[in-house]
Amino acid sequence: MRPLNKHVVTVATIAAIIIGFLIAVQIQAKEEADTAAQIQSKRLAQIKSVTESLKERNKQLQDIQDQLNEQIKNYTDESINNPFLINKLNELKMSDGTIDVQGPGIRLKIQDSGQNIDVLFPLNTDDLRRIVNTLRYAGAEAISINGQRIVASTSIVMSGNSTILVNSVPISKIGGTAYEILAIGDQTVLVDYLTNLEILSLKQVGMKVDLTREIVTIPAYKGGYSFEYAEAI
Amino acid sequence: MQKKRNIAIGLITCCLMAIGFFSVVLIKAHYQNKAEDAQEASLPNLIQLQLENDKLTKENEHLWEELTRLQAADSVAALASQQLEEANINACLVGMKGPGIRIILDDSKEERIAETGNYVIHEEYLRTLVNALWNGGAEAIAINNQRLTAHTEIFCSGSFIQINGTRQMPPYRIVAIGNQDNLKSALQFYYWDILGEYQQLYGITRKLETPEEPLVVPPAKAFTFKYAEPLKEG
Repeated sequence: MRPLNKHVVTVATIAAIIIGFLIAVQIQAKEEADTAAQIQSKRLAQIKSVTESLKERNKQLQDIQDQLNEQIKNYTDESINNPFLINKLNELKMSDGTIDVQGPGIRLKIQDSGQNIDVLFPLNTDDLRRIVNTLRYAGAEAISINGQRIVASTSIVMSGNSTILVNSVPISKIGGTAYEILAIGDQTVLVDYLTNLEILSLKQVGMKVDLTREIVTIPAYKGGYSFEYAEAI
Repeated sequence: MQKKRNIAIGLITCCLMAIGFFSVVLIKAHYQNKAEDAQEASLPNLIQLQLENDKLTKENEHLWEELTRLQAADSVAALASQQLEEANINACLVGMKGPGIRIILDDSKEERIAETGNYVIHEEYLRTLVNALWNGGAEAIAINNQRLTAHTEIFCSGSFIQINGTRQMPPYRIVAIGNQDNLKSALQFYYWDILGEYQQLYGITRKLETPEEPLVVPPAKAFTFKYAEPLKEG
């Protein structure tokens, strides 16, 4: 009888201490979690409201840009109606990338994340630059990455550790998962060069790559050119 | 005795259940915090929007300038020639002159012992440096007098590097026109340092010059389009 009582008391005491301890920890954790949750929700609300206002501003700017482009187009259409001149201007604009172009070419879709894709290192700026260079080597007449036209002064750089900037514009992956590279040129040459020089190695590291021949439309470079230091000779 | 034992067992069971319950609650609370952290992923979104807006603002400023110039043009002929001139400059078909920097890269003259790849200048160096220079606001760039355009390839073909369809051999002279300070600071990244290391270890040349006199970048040859056409409006 005695020994049993002793055991019960010992076990009960230890259990009581543990319960007490756990309750204390629990209360503390709850308080911390509550404060954290409060801060979190406040922060989220802030981010949301800033994002909203930025989106609104984005739309405004977009509208202004459309209007300006229309005005400029009206001017040039009205004033220059010599077809020979217009042709020449268009040709030059195709070269500097300031006009939308259309033609036979390829669509290269690269997925480095998503279902059933296990890639150690995601597609990086070196890869994108190398692909652009290969396309140029294959005689591509116009190139774009996720809607950004590649021109002479295009730079492809990282901003932070996840955002890729092309023409200083962040490109988000199409549909959240894919990079889409368009190019106009001799389809056979483009497909041949891409397949042999780029796609093989991308596939080897586990990326999903789709290359199709099609008529593509490549948007104009919208950055505009300005020369502050260089002058024409 | 039996009854007491039962009570004791019951008590201990209760205690253990309580301990188990609290442990679960604690663990759950811990993981919930983690889940909330993930929601902060919307921050990159915000930064992206901000960058996009900055870019749009700048583009619109350019468009306003262009519109103002169009309105100020005296005559149709003047407007046409002005546009042609600008388009020629933008298409890299006009030689340019201005302040800038010159980078000289050359293969090592030392005897090649091991890792022979480190003794020579690779196409990748040129491409990476050029990318950094454009990012630093370069307005015109040439390598060995080959103007870099939207169609210029910098492609390794064995012992030489192909640029604009021409064979280029070392030394490679990269000339970039633009703000000298900005161009110099654009080079301050790991790649430039690695080339510096190779200079010490393997004897390649990596030289940066910021001459006071204006630099010259030659025009490119006109590009002939066979496949692309301007998109028909409408």
